Amino acid sequence: MNTYRFLIDYFNDSPTIIQATWIVIGLFSILILGLILYLKYLRGHLRKKESITVAYEQEYEAALITYLYAGNDEEEISSEQQAIIDLLKNGAKEPFKRKILIAVLLKLKNEISGEVAESIQNLYYQTELVDYALSRLSHKKWYVIAKGIRELKQFQIKEAYNPVIIHLNHPRPEVRKEMQLYMVNLFYFEGLTFLDLLETPLSEWDQIQLLEILQKLENQNISNITSWLQSSNDSVIIFALKLAKIYNQLEAKNEIIQLLHHINKKVRLEAIDVLSYLNVLEAKEILKTDLQKRSQEEQIAVFKMIENLYENDDESFIMKYIYDDLFEIKIIALKILKRINREKFCSLKRESSDDSFLRIVNFIENN
Amino acid sequence: MNGAKKIVLAEDNSMLSKLLKFKLEKEGYSLFIADNGKKTIELIEEHNPELILTDIMMPFVSGLEVISHVRNKLNLLTPIVVFSAAGQEQIVLKAFDLGATDFMSKPLSPNELVLRVKRLLS
Repeated sequence: MNTYRFLIDYFNDSPTIIQATWIVIGLFSILILGLILYLKYLRGHLRKKESITVAYEQEYEAALITYLYAGNDEEEISSEQQAIIDLLKNGAKEPFKRKILIAVLLKLKNEISGEVAESIQNLYYQTELVDYALSRLSHKKWYVIAKGIRELKQFQIKEAYNPVIIHLNHPRPEVRKEMQLYMVNLFYFEGLTFLDLLETPLSEWDQIQLLEILQKLENQNISNITSWLQSSNDSVIIFALKLAKIYNQLEAKNEIIQLLHHINKKVRLEAIDVLSYLNVLEAKEILKTDLQKRSQEEQIAVFKMIENLYENDDESFIMKYIYDDLFEIKIIALKILKRINREKFCSLKRESSDDSFLRIVNFIENN
Repeated sequence: MNGAKKIVLAEDNSMLSKLLKFKLEKEGYSLFIADNGKKTIELIEEHNPELILTDIMMPFVSGLEVISHVRNKLNLLTPIVVFSAAGQEQIVLKAFDLGATDFMSKPLSPNELVLRVKRLLS
């Protein structure tokens, strides 16, 4: 009691700054103690949750294996299988258990093919998990919609086409990306019809992902791309140009030639590149006539095209550019000249006295 | 079960290993399961199986290291079937260089696996 009184007296007799320091120390001590207790609780809670998750995982894994091999030839669904369906259906009513069940189903579905994969898909329907995923598509939160579409894609639920495609022009790119992946993963080239109605930009990353999926397909018969080449959405045009290049869509050359005069420079550049790749000579002639009106980037792209598609008749045109101010054009023009008319190329060394020009000519001659 | 041919299955996906164990045991084989490469090597050394089924990508010790250990350190000719995912073609080639007998790409069909196992152990 005396010690307690001594401490009170000591505090009361101390200068204000010391009192304030003690108060701050006291407050921080309480705060730290509170945080330690909270972290202890949090750790305990997470561990408990983890152990419950593991227990349910094991229960569902065992139930799934039993379900897969409990069938018999007489019935479509045996009584043992029906009991498992009821158990899982009951568990799926709780979001926590549903999440675990979906993870268990996917864990096996992604690794297996044939009858077993089909059985897992049937189980997805029978446990009514599909209904939960479909109900997510009309949720007000964007990430719930995105997760719903992804789940339907993972379980290959083609019947969800209509409720999924309505998110075609969703304001969130994450939802649009999931919608696009759903379409292409489940409907392959036919799934690309969403491009007809796409108003939002198709990002470079989205395009790469779609192309990667398409290139893995066994059936490489691409649908008609001409309508996408005429799209009002520039990103759709650029994607269609990539398709034209990868799938050698020479039949779309007229539409691609039209794009040489597109308002967007990126589209024009991509079109030049694709026409060069497809060896469309008439595009070269068109570009030669209006080269001066084009940007520097386009001029370089045109010369790269000529380097790929040069003919002897191009010599007079090329000669106009061997002294061009643009280094890249000068180099390509000289390279082409060397291939078309080596004698004339060699004569340049005699005719010119410009050191830097002669260095370029010598370099090209030796390489 | 005593006369059953022994198979070591190395697979880190517990669902897949349970399913394959069930399927192959039904066919009369005796299965030993490992979920990582280190445990696989221990099981091989302990049980000297007639067949090894291994995933290429596994924690701690990869499928390639398992093959190398079996062929170069243990000097065993036990057939080894490798499971690979799409895009692992180069690793599969390395597995064949190291001495793998066969490979199956994921997603794999359990029925097809049973056929291959029967053919290799006949």
